[in-house]
Amino acid sequence: MKKLLAVPVAATAALSLSAGVFAGDINVGSVAGVTGPIAELVAPIVAGRNLAAEHVNSQGGLLAGDTLNMVLADSACDPKAGVDAGGKVVNVEQVVAVVGASCSGATNGMVQSVTIPAGVVNISDSATAPSITDLEDNDLVFRVAPSDAYQGAALAKLAYDSGARNLAMTYSNDDYNAGIAQVFEKSFTEMGGTITANQAHEPNKASYRSELSTLANGGPDGLALFAYYGSSGIAIIRNSLENALFDKFFAADGMFDVSVIEQIGADNLKGNIQITQSASDYDDVSYQTWAELYKATGNDPKAPYAAHGYDATFLIALAIEKAGAADRSKIAAALREVANAPGEIVRPGEWEKAKALLAEGKDVNYEGATGNVDFDENGDVAGIYGVNTVADDGTWANELIK
Amino acid sequence: MIALMEFINFYLIPGIVLGSIYALGAVGITLTFGILRFANFAHGETMTLGVYFTWTLMQITPFHPLVILPASMLLTVLVVLGIDRLFYKPFRASPTIMVVMASFGIMLMVRSVIQFVWGVQLKGLVPGIQRPMVLFDTLRISPKHMVIIASAVVLVLLIHLLLSRTKIGKAMRAMSDSPELARLTGIGTEKIVMTTWVVGASLACAAGVFLAYDTHVETMMGFKLLLPMFAAAILGGVGKPYGAIAGGLIIGLVEELSSYPWIGTEPLLNPGYKAGVAFAIMVLMLLWRPSGLFRGRVF
Repeated sequence: MKKLLAVPVAATAALSLSAGVFAGDINVGSVAGVTGPIAELVAPIVAGRNLAAEHVNSQGGLLAGDTLNMVLADSACDPKAGVDAGGKVVNVEQVVAVVGASCSGATNGMVQSVTIPAGVVNISDSATAPSITDLEDNDLVFRVAPSDAYQGAALAKLAYDSGARNLAMTYSNDDYNAGIAQVFEKSFTEMGGTITANQAHEPNKASYRSELSTLANGGPDGLALFAYYGSSGIAIIRNSLENALFDKFFAADGMFDVSVIEQIGADNLKGNIQITQSASDYDDVSYQTWAELYKATGNDPKAPYAAHGYDATFLIALAIEKAGAADRSKIAAALREVANAPGEIVRPGEWEKAKALLAEGKDVNYEGATGNVDFDENGDVAGIYGVNTVADDGTWANELIK
Repeated sequence: MIALMEFINFYLIPGIVLGSIYALGAVGITLTFGILRFANFAHGETMTLGVYFTWTLMQITPFHPLVILPASMLLTVLVVLGIDRLFYKPFRASPTIMVVMASFGIMLMVRSVIQFVWGVQLKGLVPGIQRPMVLFDTLRISPKHMVIIASAVVLVLLIHLLLSRTKIGKAMRAMSDSPELARLTGIGTEKIVMTTWVVGASLACAAGVFLAYDTHVETMMGFKLLLPMFAAAILGGVGKPYGAIAGGLIIGLVEELSSYPWIGTEPLLNPGYKAGVAFAIMVLMLLWRPSGLFRGRVF
């Protein structure tokens, strides 16, 4: 039922959001989970993408002064809706490349059904499932968000170092959460920890009390919770605390949103929850440059994947410029050249400089807000992570994991 | 003893709460099915709309959601009556499939309007957590669950009084049982249709608010309940309000109890498949007894 309905939903949402197309525009797809269980997380990411487009357009535009037009489409964090959104931007709007599609499930669906068959290059800015690494993608699927093969291990280490030895686990049954849960389980047991119970759960249910009561058997030290906050995460934390089943939680970036604190209450979570998040090196000059520019748009630079959204979009623009034409296959081929060494280093906001260098026929190497964004043979990047805890003032406090 | 208390605390009570919510929602579906003769896809969105009305009223008044509930029920009813006038009435004499499609369109429109007006961010009717009261050392009852169950019982009694004691209620049942006969005896169709919407929308609003009171507010919350509510209506017998109440309770209970470790220590059914339980009951019921528990209509 849900899948059947997603078609018109995605179409209406996309129609109402996409801007008009004018002559001299080069369309790039901007597919994101605008609605759905992580809607709050997606807004700052889209703002990051749009900021990159704004920098390109205000500093000379693409090629012969063409405008970079980001065509927004809603993937609703759902594989079927992701396919529809991808189909819309690729087949109807005729985009030359795609940024997106937010959630791993939606991204997997979209790239396999739409962008890879159409020969369109895709950079994901927030899909982290390990399964995306091994896609048969003809070198068309890239991501600036690091694979959860790293995040799962980082979270396991964090949990182990905080003293937890026996943990129960539950994960929402989708690409992202199942993927990271698997990595977590493996890493945690390799370190010497014990998983007392590991259970999938169905998202969007009103109550998780029965699941949690089974998971709490044997008195584990805490719960490793892999879920999107909006579809089951908040409900699970609430049910756990209300019934005194669990009071310690370890979670990944799908749970990182201010609404978790708003809904549960800071006092109930303080000292009891740790959430990993893909982060940037905050001392890096590229990050700082970007953070200043992004802050000016009224958004928080530490919002998860906002920097990734910027980098993904900026890289697409560089690839178009390098390809010298709005041609799908040339852009795909040019992407690695502008992202990786060798070449003169270009940082966020330096579109004018990059354009001039490329016009002279020189190589560029983009060093983004998220790191050096050098793609490996799978189109992945290495990542660093931060951990979020609830601070005394009742907001999330973020710290890099060294 | 501990095992029994665990069963009651974590399986039985949540099952009854969920069942009450399904039951209230399913009454509206079954009445629309029986009297207006179409499957109303927009019923979930009616719930969502009621919840957002309640949320909005809570921002401007200091009252508890249950105090506000009558006002938001009224607002929901007005909107639903307006929708009926504009979108369903022109199709009154058309084949059923056209009205079903119209309701499908209404569903998408109402949802989009909600997302547009209130945004897609999560909200809470009652933020924070509410620890349950512990009775006799082991029985844990959350105050909000008692409120939900008690309110649901009151609403069900009110429906019962309406259907069994009032003229319009009897006419509704007559209309649902046999529209031709009802019309021959001089029952006014439009008035019945209006009452159907009033009852269905008020109960949907209440069910939505109870759900939001137990969880949180988001734009897809009503839609996610649509399938179990349809299953409840079919289980109880289409067109039978008492059947829908029984069906809702059964589906809610079975969904929760299916993951109880009946045999050994592992859940009988992996909780990941809970949502499939409502489907399975619906399909089995259609195969075994399409008219449902209370001998409803067969289409």
